[in-house]
Amino acid sequence: MAEAKKVILRISRFNPEFDEKPHFQDFEIEIPKGMTVLEALYFIKENIDPTLTFRGFCRSAICGSCSVKVNGHPKLACKTQIWQEIERFGTNILKIEPLGNMKVIRDLAVDFSEAEEKLKKVKPYLIPDPEVIPDTNDEESIVYPEEMEKFDKFTDCILCGTCYSMCPAVMFIDDYAGPFQFGRIFRFAEDPRDGLKKERSKIAYAFELWKCIRCERCADICPKHIHPVEAVTHLRAMSIEKGLTLNPGARHAIAFYKSVTSTGMLNEAILPIMSKGIKGVLENMPVALSFLLKGKMPPPIVKPIEDIEGFKKVVSLSAEVE
Amino acid sequence: MKKYAFYPGCAPKGAAIESYISAKTVMDKLGIDYTEPVSFSCCGAGNVEEVKPYVALGINARNLAIAEKEERDIITICSTCYLELKKAKKQLTENERLKEEMNEILSETGLRYEGKVEVKLLHQVILDEYEEKISSMVTNKLKNLKVYPFYGCHTIRPRDIIGYDDPENPSSLERLIKLLGATPVSGARRILCCGFHASFSASEIAMKLTGLNLKEAHDMDADCVITPCPLCHLNMDANQKKALNTIKSQFIMPVLHVQQLIGLAIGLSPEEVALQKNVIPALYIV
Ligand code: SF4
Ligand code: SF4
Ligand code: FES
Repeated sequence: MAEAKKVILRISRFNPEFDEKPHFQDFEIEIPKGMTVLEALYFIKENIDPTLTFRGFCRSAICGSCSVKVNGHPKLACKTQIWQEIERFGTNILKIEPLGNMKVIRDLAVDFSEAEEKLKKVKPYLIPDPEVIPDTNDEESIVYPEEMEKFDKFTDCILCGTCYSMCPAVMFIDDYAGPFQFGRIFRFAEDPRDGLKKERSKIAYAFELWKCIRCERCADICPKHIHPVEAVTHLRAMSIEKGLTLNPGARHAIAFYKSVTSTGMLNEAILPIMSKGIKGVLENMPVALSFLLKGKMPPPIVKPIEDIEGFKKVVSLSAEVE
Repeated sequence: MKKYAFYPGCAPKGAAIESYISAKTVMDKLGIDYTEPVSFSCCGAGNVEEVKPYVALGINARNLAIAEKEERDIITICSTCYLELKKAKKQLTENERLKEEMNEILSETGLRYEGKVEVKLLHQVILDEYEEKISSMVTNKLKNLKVYPFYGCHTIRPRDIIGYDDPENPSSLERLIKLLGATPVSGARRILCCGFHASFSASEIAMKLTGLNLKEAHDMDADCVITPCPLCHLNMDANQKKALNTIKSQFIMPVLHVQQLIGLAIGLSPEEVALQKNVIPALYIV
């Protein structure tokens, strides 16, 4: 017989017909080694409580429907083994909750429509470039491997919403598109068959591209190992190239870039004024004063690093890499 | 014991000078074999990438190659430098074509990157190699201290680049705190973001996140917070008042760089770890 452990699944329950707010219900069940969270949910539904509501279709980490929070971290239920989670947290209680940043419909099912609406708005489809895509189907429209390499990873997105559900920028900023949405914009911005190409960074810019805080959680948690934050970074570079620089984030990046590429080191003292102008200096005044009192004011002039010439050569040659 | 090239990063050379001072006194006291190559450049902190992605890769390939030339691994005290260096390393490992292209560029300056150099944070080196030595040096001074370990994003995420500790339930700082004779108090927010990298583009969110993180430490009755990241430190220490204002809270929470706590535990004086340079008063905890 397979090894088994008694585990408490502490599941968030919510039925809008009766409940004012969600509450937890414990189910203690035998979990054989290798059992996934989704299998355990089906077991409960079939044997203990048929009213338990959750989503799950493919059971193979490909449809993206089954994501839930397991002990606070969003994951695909069909890909997550209960034993591994128990070991990770050193407990026999697993909390299963619906995804964050979305409205709960019932139990573990959430309303995906806001994320979906945002996706629709960012034009997540190929707009053919007539110069590249032939008029008839007789000819192929070729994408070369080196071209594909740049956005290949981003075509793996299964729209599971895992990244969206815990993104702090989504949580705090209404107009923020979201990690997978930026991933989708980037995917087409790099596609040589697309008519908009880098122009797409303007769409990203309009959806608060500079509000990502680079917490790297989307990169860490994505079940398909896509790093949405990388899309954000690349779209930022493209938007700067397209001249969209009237934003403290972009100005900060440019100031940083200039400072580092000229001396090899960052000049911390000039960043506030370069990024936000006088407003930046005023905002930063109390902190600057506290540094002054502690005798640790960053110097206004930075001494270049040794071998600055070699460094500059690396910078200018790398800038040419495509 | 391994040999290291010390990569302090920009903040520890400027606004977070106390992290640089304390790192050096701690490394000296422990006898860590390190040099500080003067040709290391800034890692770009993710910002250079936002202007020209391949320039960020180029300058970090160069930094890695400098350490490789000295036949040393890199030891750093900034989580963002840690991520940037490791990110470059991963890109170069996974893409042979890019690695060759970068090597062609580096060869113009007499450098070459093979992929031998490891990148580690100071506390990681200490836990991996100096655990025994530290425990023999601990003075019992921190016996009654409750410490909240704040990891900082780039110390633990993304797992396929960092590959040290569990980003969902990390334990290295807790292990370190216990080793130093203090008591860890761990809250769920210890793995969340302080918002530093949005300081200019979304400052209100950054301050709110920092405030909430500090508040958790306060609510859990911590005497102080420690962090391996000088950027998280900046938000939690120098910006503490502003951060707490955004969540309508007022209290004082000392925030120490990991190496300041290590130094205090192994008998260095508060001055030797430059505790007087922390903005929020911290001297009173010892
Ligand atoms: S890195 Fe940016 S997009 Fe990703 S979760 Fe964090 S804030 Fe959201
Ligand atoms: S980027 Fe990853 S986590 Fe986000 S929706 Fe796509 S597959 Fe899911
Ligand atoms: S059930 Fe399809 S991804 Fe999990």
